[in-house]
Order: sequence, then structure tokens, then C-alpha cells
Amino acid sequence: MKMDVNLGGTPIREEDIKEKKVLYTEWIPKARYAWDAGVAIGRFLEELKNGRIIGTECQRCRRIMVPPRLFCELCYTPVNRWTYLGDRGRVRTFCMSRVRWDASRVEEPFFPSVIELDGGKKGTALFHVIRGVDLEHMKVGLRVKAVWKAPEERIGAITDIEYFIPE
Amino acid sequence: MSLLERISKNTQVKAWEGEFPVRYLYTYGIAAERFFRNIMERGTIVATRCALCDAIYVPPSIFCERCFERLEEWIDVGSIGTLHSFTICHLNRDGSRRDAPCLIGVVKIEGTEGALVHYLGEVEVKDVKIGMPMEAVFKNVEERTGSILDILYFRPVR
Repeated sequence: MKMDVNLGGTPIREEDIKEKKVLYTEWIPKARYAWDAGVAIGRFLEELKNGRIIGTECQRCRRIMVPPRLFCELCYTPVNRWTYLGDRGRVRTFCMSRVRWDASRVEEPFFPSVIELDGGKKGTALFHVIRGVDLEHMKVGLRVKAVWKAPEERIGAITDIEYFIPE
Repeated sequence: MSLLERISKNTQVKAWEGEFPVRYLYTYGIAAERFFRNIMERGTIVATRCALCDAIYVPPSIFCERCFERLEEWIDVGSIGTLHSFTICHLNRDGSRRDAPCLIGVVKIEGTEGALVHYLGEVEVKDVKIGMPMEAVFKNVEERTGSILDILYFRPVR
């Protein structure tokens, strides 16, 4: 559909900026942050450094939460049972991405996915990236396993797991 | 497991630090483009005037804030004004302490209802007073880049 509405304004082209036909201000703000991980995520990150995935279990509804939380937002009760989960699981849902977080293109598409971990329950799932599989073989239910960074390279971050690959 | 135990085991990872990788390029638009070009090339402050409302806008706008009329009338308003307000700044933008405090003021430009926020110079903290007549001091023309910092500061009119 062709739009004939004149929205007004003054168009500006990238060349106008490159050729310095217009004045402009360029700036890179230094936007640093420190996000308080809290008790549950703090422990979760610490355990990733140890090569383990930890969650919490609600003693009321018995569901397991990963990353762990200190209360169950369904039962609205405090949660105090820690439980380790496997670093293998099955794909719950996925999408295929051809771009990085900054929208730059990648050579090989990858699959940001929700992965149900072994030792958990229905809905106990971690969000991570699956690589080493093509779209044809990617499917819900696919068994995958974590690929960890070397212990000395781990810093207590979700990226201590580099990605998941098919088992 | 009690809450205290959980906290005692959580000593190594407490906060997640990062930096938002953001950058921007801001083009000034029609009115500010002309405003900064005049500062850069002529060392003058220009304004737009609404004849209907008898209002003069500094920095200039291409629309009247009162009647929304398109403004086409451009005038030179000189570089003199009065100090409307000021503050004494002891910290840098990053929060570090300055060796010496600096003054930042709002200067109402003579004959207009507009004002510019800028550094105040050639005046001691103890001497600065609201209502003082001030004038803009420009950089040398070859050093100007089309920025508000083409004005070095406002100083008391001598």
C-alpha cells in the first residue's frame, strides 16, 4: 500500500552527516551499572563458577525454579530448599537467530532456547543458546548438553556455559 | 537451611557489573542548526521572533510556543544578558572533586525571553550576583566547531 500522507519534517541523509553539511553532536555516554544479584542469583552465579546449575524448590507446590528465587510467586511463600540440576536436558522451545544482540549478522545461525533441565520438573527451564545443530535437525524435545568454559575461565556468569549442543 | 546460612555462603558474587554500550549522534534541527552556525561563523546569538505574540525565542525555535505559528523572522540579539541564576560546582560530571569550583549560570539574553545555561568566567565566587550584566566570550573563530562550547563562558560586562 502506498502512503500519500505528507508527514512533514525535514529529511536528513547519512551523507549530510558524513559530508558535514549539518552540525551534530556525537557522544558515548558512560553508562555503567552494578546490578545487585541478591541471595538467590548470587548463589546461582557462584555455582556456575563451580560448574553446577542450582535451583530452588518450593516446598508447597513442589516446582523447581531455575535461576533460583527465594520465594515462589505462585504460592507467594518463602522458598528455602536448594537443589542441583543436571547440565543436560531437552528443548522446550526455541527460535533461530541470525543476528547478535547488537543486530550484526552472524555466519552461522544459532538457537536461543528454553531448555528443560534434567532433575527438574515440568517448567524448570533455563534460557540459553544452542549451537552445533541446523534448522532441519532442531526440534522441540531435542536432547542437549551444556558446554562449559574451562574452570579457570569461569567468572560466575551465565556465559560460563558457552552454549548447549545436541547430546 | 536458614536465611543466615544462605547469605554466608553468598560472599563472592554479589553484584553484576556492566556497561551499556550506547552512543548517539544528535543533529540539531533547522533552528538550532542556524543558531550554532551563527555562533560558529559570526560569533553572534540569533533568535526567532513571533510578531503575533511579540515573543523572541533564544535558543530559537521554528514554532511559537504560544500560538504555534511558524516563525520565519530571524534577528541578532547580541551576546549580552543578565544573570538569572547560578550554581557553584565542586564536582566533575563523573563525580570526582574539582581542584577549584566552577560557576554555572543561567543568562537571560537581553531583549528576549530566552536564556542560555553556560559557564561563568572572569568572576570570583564571592563576587557573583544574580542580576549582574553578563556577556558571552567566544572562542577564536578558527577553533569553533558549531557547539555551545564555541562560547567559552559568560563574564561580567565591563
